[in-house]
Amino acid sequence: MMAIRELKVCLLGDTGVGKSSIVCRFVQDHFDHNISPTIGASFMTKTVPCGNELHKFLIWDTAGQERFHSLAPMYYRGSAAAVIVYDITKQDSFHTLKKWVKELKEHGPENIVMAIAGNKCDLSDLREVTMKDAKEYAESIGAIVVETSAKNAINIEELFQGISQQIPPLNPHENSNNGAIRLGKQTTQMSRPCC
Amino acid sequence: MADNLPSEFDVVVIGTGLPESIIAAACSRSGQRVLHVDSRNYYGGNWASFSFSGLSSWIKENQQKTDISEESEDWRKLILETEEAICLNKKDKTIQNVEDVCYASQDLAEDVKEAGALPNLPDFEASETSEAAQESEKECLPVESQSLGTASCEISSERIIGNDPGSTTERKDAEMTSERENLCDVTSDQSPLETGKTETISTTEAAALEPKKITYTQIVKEGRRFNIDLVSKLLYSRGLLIDLLMKSNVSRYAEFKNVTRILTFQEERVEQVPCSRADVFNSKQLTMVEKRMLMKFLTFCLDYEQHPDAYQDYKEYKFSEYLKTQKLTAKLQHFILHSIAMVSAADSNTIEGLKATKNFLQCLGRYGNTPFLFPLYGQGEIPQCFCRMCAVFGGIYCLRHSVQCLVVDKESGRCKAIIDHFGQRINANYFVVEDSYLSEETCTDVCYRQISRAVLITDQSVLKTDSDQQISILIVPPMELGQPAVRIIELCSSTMTCMKNTYLVHFTSSSTKTAKEDLEPVVQKLFTLNAETERESKNGGLEKPRVLWAVYFNMRDSSGIDRNSYDHLPSNVYVCSGPDSALGNDYAVKQAETLFQEMFPNEEFCPSPPNPEDIIYDGDGTPPEDPRFSNSSNMKTEPLSEESSDENSYKISEEHHKE
Ligand SMILES: Cc1cc2nc3c(=O)[nH]c(=O)nc-3n(C[C@H](O)[C@H](O)[C@H](O)COP(=O)(O)OP(=O)(O)OC[C@H]3O[C@@H](n4cnc5c(N)ncnc54)[C@H](O)[C@@H]3O)c2cc1C
Ligand SMILES: Nc1nc2c(ncn2[C@@H]2O[C@H](COP(=O)(O)OP(=O)(O)OP(=O)(O)O)[C@@H](O)[C@H]2O)c(=O)[nH]1
Ligand SMILES: [Mg+2]
Repeated sequence: MMAIRELKVCLLGDTGVGKSSIVCRFVQDHFDHNISPTIGASFMTKTVPCGNELHKFLIWDTAGQERFHSLAPMYYRGSAAAVIVYDITKQDSFHTLKKWVKELKEHGPENIVMAIAGNKCDLSDLREVTMKDAKEYAESIGAIVVETSAKNAINIEELFQGISQQIPPLNPHENSNNGAIRLGKQTTQMSRPCC
Repeated sequence: MADNLPSEFDVVVIGTGLPESIIAAACSRSGQRVLHVDSRNYYGGNWASFSFSGLSSWIKENQQKTDISEESEDWRKLILETEEAICLNKKDKTIQNVEDVCYASQDLAEDVKEAGALPNLPDFEASETSEAAQESEKECLPVESQSLGTASCEISSERIIGNDPGSTTERKDAEMTSERENLCDVTSDQSPLETGKTETISTTEAAALEPKKITYTQIVKEGRRFNIDLVSKLLYSRGLLIDLLMKSNVSRYAEFKNVTRILTFQEERVEQVPCSRADVFNSKQLTMVEKRMLMKFLTFCLDYEQHPDAYQDYKEYKFSEYLKTQKLTAKLQHFILHSIAMVSAADSNTIEGLKATKNFLQCLGRYGNTPFLFPLYGQGEIPQCFCRMCAVFGGIYCLRHSVQCLVVDKESGRCKAIIDHFGQRINANYFVVEDSYLSEETCTDVCYRQISRAVLITDQSVLKTDSDQQISILIVPPMELGQPAVRIIELCSSTMTCMKNTYLVHFTSSSTKTAKEDLEPVVQKLFTLNAETERESKNGGLEKPRVLWAVYFNMRDSSGIDRNSYDHLPSNVYVCSGPDSALGNDYAVKQAETLFQEMFPNEEFCPSPPNPEDIIYDGDGTPPEDPRFSNSSNMKTEPLSEESSDENSYKISEEHHKE
């Protein structure tokens, strides 16, 4: 039996760059032109095989807290990876991306896998950010980088595969959740039956 | 990114402490449009937790006595003739007597920096476009820009008091080692991946060298492994906060560790209190007779209400007096009073003591063999979890957002709006304000108590065992009558609040003097303050752990204040208090629920969300039809949590017998 590893992945990036669209494409293979700005955050999961493990991505969206630069550090706590998205047609979104990288480096988990996605690559006529700039920057911070289109389903799978490959294999000596307790809702139902 | 802030809301919440955050979540959940602001650049107010460098900035900020410069009063123009303004505080005054002391060896390197901070990103700073973003950038990273090297000089020159002459040599040594240290300091130009590797290696090496000595430089470099709480609390496993977290499903955002030990300090020694039936039977400190006495008494406490005749005559007595009348040795009385009931010997009566004991026993075994849980990454996570819930339901968040004043309509006497530091007027129907934001004028008649706090970074546990990953609570009874008891919570690195090979030790008591005067005598009883001397042998070879670094401060306790003692507050302005001094979080939860019910009597308080946030699709299968089903199958939850380590619990062993 393959072991399932749960990996928390957080999304970062300017509003409107297509964070939710990327996840929607990845998880549901669906694209919506009229997706509304994320207020209520969605929380999605998808499991993909990687070597002799199964990686179950728990993907957190920002809940809009980033709008006024007020993302809570608990958002990226314990994340195995961060997908940081910019819009290749918006130079500004690329600058914001660097700000997120900095924030992650300072407050995020150590050894977090960073994946940069230059989204909306279907709109290359309107391109403002070159692939070369993105590559150079990604290299300088040790991140993986890929241009994606949530609309045309380009490189979305690849993005997450790239992340999977960067995740260090499970250290057998290290219990993955370290004995931490998650509070469940169904505590009463969980009690053993009495007879 | 520079969105405009809307100017119409239903509820404006000022302050991101625990009660405010719960209220914000509850309001947003019930469909209100919520604006939640904090004037600081971090979440939590006095409930926050900080990395080491974050705490260093916080210390500096609170040591500065200077008031901020006069601000323009332009906003007054926005107030109509039919209105008046209630100004809010410009500077927080809830923290006093902040004193930090470094005992670990210090090198005076100027460029000591938290590891992981990026090498400068020159082109980023230059290219930042929006003005707001630039400002926030500066403000939100106070941490890095301050030279920690200087801070350490300052500490060494003026703050080491009462150390023996050894400290002078210590500083010389430090200067000499500083060069060597610097050699392994050059992480900044490596790629993050490489940095990660070097660090792993160095930790393994350090572990091999026993005993490892932690320097100030190491603490600074590993600074972000620290999550140092301003308040030190635990969650009772059957307390209101746990109930609320589960009911509202906010629990999904947090993980916990069970406190592993209850300790007691008797006859100058730290000992572990047996906490389950199995513990009691296995205890080596108790005689057979004592074991039976303790069992009998605790079993009685579990349903003491059923046996009124056993305590009827002692109702008016102090609990400590009552215990003397029971068949209990002095040692057992001490256990029960200080470590199980955790009530004050001087103040608590029999009923209070029995109730507290029963509560303790009922909380046992739910998640482990003590009644307490501690959140991974610190208590400061909890307010943030509620804020996320608020945001998930549409609440808008602005840190670094000060409010100049509340605008009150003269005729109706109700608050209509706030004016923020940009001079934007934001209208709402309800206003929730944390006490520290209210000005002195509003609070002239309010009488505050104080909490004394100390936080220590130490190199060993107060009670060493095979495992170095213990989480312990220890109540030290007053040394003299009339003094407060001191509550100590010792956290290990697996709580994600301190670096490997260190412990974070939180001291809390109600104040009689400054925090240092209140707490240092207890610190000295348990720890060695001079990190450089050879370990003293004490109590037959038991070594005291060393303090590497410490901070003391007093925090205002604004709990339990009658609303009417605030001057001139409109009825639709609701006041939340800062942290109280109790161990649990019930006060904050109760306050949040009460205020929410006052605002919205017909709304349910934080009901379970319709389903998890709000779609969970698992890409492998078809979307499940029943969202609840998908919820439980996708989240790993209960099984782990309810299983406590076997024999430790009376309950579970009984069930095993039945099976
Ligand atoms: C020194 C000492 C002696 C004690 N002696 C006794 C004694 O003689 N008799 C006695 O009844 N109690 C004793 N206790 C208390 C005992 O450990 C439990 O706290 C108590 O049994 C709780 O049961 P309850 O029915 O009061 O509460 P409940 O609230 O009914 O029980 C706790 C809840 O948690 C669940 N639960 C409890 N333990 C576990 C577990 N390990 N795994 C999974 N779920 C669990 C139960 O299913 C139940 O829902 C003693 C405690 C101490 C410290
Ligand atoms: N052409 C094109 N449009 C895209 C692509 N991805 C997203 N969009 C569109 O960009 C807009 C914003 O997408 P979202 O997914 O809502 O962006 P977001 O980053 O989640 O935005 P916030 O939730 O507001 O932070 C939507 O109109 C999408 O349809 C893409 O790959 N190509
Ligand atoms: Mg979105």
